[in-house]
Amino acid sequence: MKSVIETEHLSKWYGNVLGLSDVSLQIESGITGILGPNGAGKSTFLKLISGQIKPNIGTSAIKGERIWNNYRLFSNIGFCPEQDAFYEDLTGWQFMTGLLRLFHFSPSERESRAREALEIVELMEDKDRIIKSYSRGMRQRLKVAQAIAHDPEIIILDEPLNGLDPLGRRKIIRLIKTYKSEGRTIIVSSHVLPEIEAMTKRIILIHQGKIFAQGDIHYIRDLIEAHPHIVSVKCSDPRQLASKFIQEDFVLNVNFSSAEDTLLVETNNRDKFFSLLPPLIVKHNIEVEEITSPDDNLQAVFDYLVGK
Amino acid sequence: MTIKEKGYTHWDGEFLDKKLPWWPITRYGIKLTFRKKFFKLIFPMSLLPAVVFLAGIYVSERLEDFKFMFRESVPFLQINPAYFKTYLVDNFMLFIMVIIVIFCGAGLISDDLKHNSLQLYFARPLKKRDYFFGKTAVIVFFLFILTLVPGLVFIIMKLIFAGSFKFFLSYPWLPLAVIGYSIFVTAFFSFYVLFLSSLSKNRRYVAILIFGIYLFSDIFGAVFYEYFHNHYFSLISLRANIQQVGAFIFSQKTPYPIPWFYSLLVLTAICVLAGLVLKKKVRGVEIVK
Amino acid sequence: MSIEVKDIHFSYGKIKALDGVSLDLSQGAIGLLGPNGAGKSTLIRIMLGFLSPDGGEGRILDYDIKSQQAEIRRYVGYMPEDDCFIPELDAVSFTSYLGELSGMPRQEAMKRAHEVLYYVGLEESRYRKVETYSAGMKLRLKLAQSLVHDPKLIFLDEPTSGLDPQGRTEILELIIDISSKKDIQVLISSHILPDIEMTCSYVVILNKGIVVSEGEISKLKEIRDLYEIKVMGEAQVFLRKLKDLKCRVEETEDGILKVYTPPNYNRQEFFRIAAEEKIQLRHFVRSQSSLEDLFAEAVGVD
Repeated sequence: MKSVIETEHLSKWYGNVLGLSDVSLQIESGITGILGPNGAGKSTFLKLISGQIKPNIGTSAIKGERIWNNYRLFSNIGFCPEQDAFYEDLTGWQFMTGLLRLFHFSPSERESRAREALEIVELMEDKDRIIKSYSRGMRQRLKVAQAIAHDPEIIILDEPLNGLDPLGRRKIIRLIKTYKSEGRTIIVSSHVLPEIEAMTKRIILIHQGKIFAQGDIHYIRDLIEAHPHIVSVKCSDPRQLASKFIQEDFVLNVNFSSAEDTLLVETNNRDKFFSLLPPLIVKHNIEVEEITSPDDNLQAVFDYLVGK
Repeated sequence: MTIKEKGYTHWDGEFLDKKLPWWPITRYGIKLTFRKKFFKLIFPMSLLPAVVFLAGIYVSERLEDFKFMFRESVPFLQINPAYFKTYLVDNFMLFIMVIIVIFCGAGLISDDLKHNSLQLYFARPLKKRDYFFGKTAVIVFFLFILTLVPGLVFIIMKLIFAGSFKFFLSYPWLPLAVIGYSIFVTAFFSFYVLFLSSLSKNRRYVAILIFGIYLFSDIFGAVFYEYFHNHYFSLISLRANIQQVGAFIFSQKTPYPIPWFYSLLVLTAICVLAGLVLKKKVRGVEIVK
Repeated sequence: MSIEVKDIHFSYGKIKALDGVSLDLSQGAIGLLGPNGAGKSTLIRIMLGFLSPDGGEGRILDYDIKSQQAEIRRYVGYMPEDDCFIPELDAVSFTSYLGELSGMPRQEAMKRAHEVLYYVGLEESRYRKVETYSAGMKLRLKLAQSLVHDPKLIFLDEPTSGLDPQGRTEILELIIDISSKKDIQVLISSHILPDIEMTCSYVVILNKGIVVSEGEISKLKEIRDLYEIKVMGEAQVFLRKLKDLKCRVEETEDGILKVYTPPNYNRQEFFRIAAEEKIQLRHFVRSQSSLEDLFAEAVGVD
C-alpha cells in the first residue's frame, strides 16, 4: 500500500527539552494507533505531522509534499488536540461556523457542514449554548466535530476518547471505523490500550522521543525475544496436561492459576507447542474450555517494551 | 518473628472522639500563614505599637515619681481608658489589622474553592459549622494577639508598675471593655474576610478586595461628607463605624456626632449578609455537577 | 451489608437525578457504571452524606444516611474525580491533615500518612509540595488521602482518568490489592469499562436515575453457542470438516473464525479434527457478551 504520511529523521526539541528524536516512518491509510507514556513525545509527533510546529531536523510530508508552511495541505487535515482549546464565550454553533469560515466555505456550505458535523457527534441540541457551559464530554465531542467538519482525508485525533462516557466512546470508535472504510487516514492516540485494540492492530509506540515499535501488534509481539510466549489452557485436568509438556525442551516454564483450572505454559517455540497440543488433548480426553495467549496483546507489548 | 507482607495494611489505632473537630483546620491555617513570604517580617512589626504603648505605661509610672521636676502637670501619658482606646481603636491599629487579615484570611476559603478541596473536607466527619469555625479561629488567633492580648497585658503591667490596685478601682469596667471590643472587632473582621474570601477563587483578588473595600469605603465616606456636609455619610466608612462603636465601648466621645448604635447596626447588617452568602457559597460547591 | 439503600429519590430543582434507586451490596469490588448524567455522582454524594435524599432511606456500614452522616464519613474513604488538593502543604502534611480531620490522633495520623504514601508509590516525593505534583502523582495522592483513616468502604470516582498505560496498570493493581482484603469494600465509578472488568466482580449500571442492570459480571455475561478460533495450517480443510458437522463459520478480517455450533455439539470435535489434520489451534474461546455489550443493552442503545 502507498504511504500517506512520510517522515524522515524528524526531530524536535523545545529549548533543551526533548520532544522527538530522529523519527523516520511511513503511515498508510487506515487507522494507526499512537501510544506511549506521558511525555513520550506523542503530541509533539502529532503536531509535527500535521504541520503545526516546525521540526528542528528532518521533514514530514503528506503524499510527497512537505507539510511545514504548506497551508494548501491543511484543508486536508483534521486535528483534534488533547487540551481544551475553545473560545469559551462562543456557542458551539458559532465556534464551528467560525472555524469553517477559515476554510473559505460559502455561508450556506458553512452551515450545512457545521450541522452535519454536530449531528454526527450529537451536539445539535446544544449548539446554541456557550461553550463555557459544556460538560467535559460535550467539549470532547465538539473537538472531534471541528476536526471532521471540513471533510478531511487525514484525521489526527489526540486522546479523542478522554472524558467520554462508555456510550460516547463506542460512538467515536464506530465513527473512526467508518472513516477507515471510506479509505481515509486516521491517526489516533489513547492511553487506554484496549480501546486502541478495538480500533486497530496497527500501532506506533513512542517512548523517550523515539519510535519503539511500529506495525501489527502480533507481529511486534513475535519480535520481542526477551519474553517467551505464554499460552493459557483452561481445562479439566491441567496437571496431567502439564506432565506431558514438562519433558519437552521448548517448554521453559509451567504454572497453574490459583483456581487450579488453568495451565500456563511458557514456550520459546509456539509452533511446536501448538502442534503437540491437539493430539494430547484427544489422547488423554481432556476437556478444554479455552486456549488463549495472555501476553499476545497490546498491554503486554507495551509492558515489555516500556515497562521498568 | 513476624513479617510484613507487601500490600495494604490496616491502621490499628483508635479514633479520638474529639470535642474540637475543627482544631486541625485552625492549626494548619496558622502554620500556613507563618510560611507566607513577608509575614515573618510583618508580624513582628505589627506588634511594635504594643511594645511602644507598654513602654509608655512604664514611663508614665516613672513620670509620677519625678513629677516634682515639672512645673505644670503633664497632659500626656495619662493611663486611662483613652490611652487604651488610642491603641485599640485608632487608625494605625485598624490598618495593621487589615494587613494581618489579608495575610491570614484572604486564602482561607478562596484557596479551597480554587483547588476543589471543599469536598476533601466534607468527605470527613466535619460539619459545615466546624469548617467555618476552624477557618474563623485562624483570624481570631491573629487578631486577638493584636487586641485582646496587649489590652489585658497593659492592664496587668499597669497594676504591677504602679504596685497598687488604684488604677483598677478607678476603671473597674476597663478589662470588660477590652474583652468586649476585641471580640467585636475580631468578629467583624472574621465575617468580612471570610465573606470576601468565598467570593473569588483567586487569593490575590480577595486581598485586593479586603484592602480596597476598607480603604474606599473610608474615602467615599469622606468625599460625601465634604460634598453634603452631612455626618451620616460616615456610616459608609468601615473605619468610622468601628471607631464609633469602639469609642462608645471605652466610653469616650465618638469621633462623629451621630449615634454610635447606627454604626453597630451597619456592621451587624454586613456580618449577617456575609453569613448568609457564606452559607450559600459553601453549599453551592457540594451540589456542583 | 455495607451498602443498603432503598428507593432513593433526588432532584436538582426540576431535573430528576435519582428516581428510585435501591441497592443491597456486600461484595468486594463493585463497579458503578452509567452514561453521563445517569446519577452516579449524585448517588455517591448521597451515600457519603453530602446530600440528603428527597425520598427513600438507606444505611451505609449500618449507619443511617440521613441521621448519621458524620459516622458514615468517618469509616468511608472518598477519592473525588476532579483534581483537588490543599496548596502549600507537602504530601505528608496533606495526608496527615486529612487523617486528623477524620478524627485520628495527630501522631498516629502522621505515621499512617507515611504508610499510605509508601503504599501508593509516592515515597520519594512525599516531602514535595503538592502543587508541584504531576497529574498522575496527584491522582495517587487522592488515593492516599482516601486510605489514610483505614476506611471500611471506599468510593473511587474515575480513579484512572488521564493516566498513561503504566500508571493505569499500577493504580488498578493497587485497587485490586485493597479490595482483596475481606474487610474492605470498594465502589468504583468509571467510564473505562476495561478498568471495571479488571477490578470488579460485580456491577451496577445506572441510567436516567434508575438501576437498569446489576449482578456478578460473570453471570450477567451471556454464553453463546459460538466459538472464536484462530488456526494455523490447512484452514480450508478445517472449515470443510466443521461444515460437515453442521457448524456455521464466519471469518473476520483479522483472521478469527467464528464458529456457530449446532445444539448438542461436542466440543472435543474441534480438537479431534485438529489432531487428525495437524492443524494448530492458536486461540480457542467460547464467545461471551462483553461488558460493553451488557452496558449498551442495559442503557438501551445498539
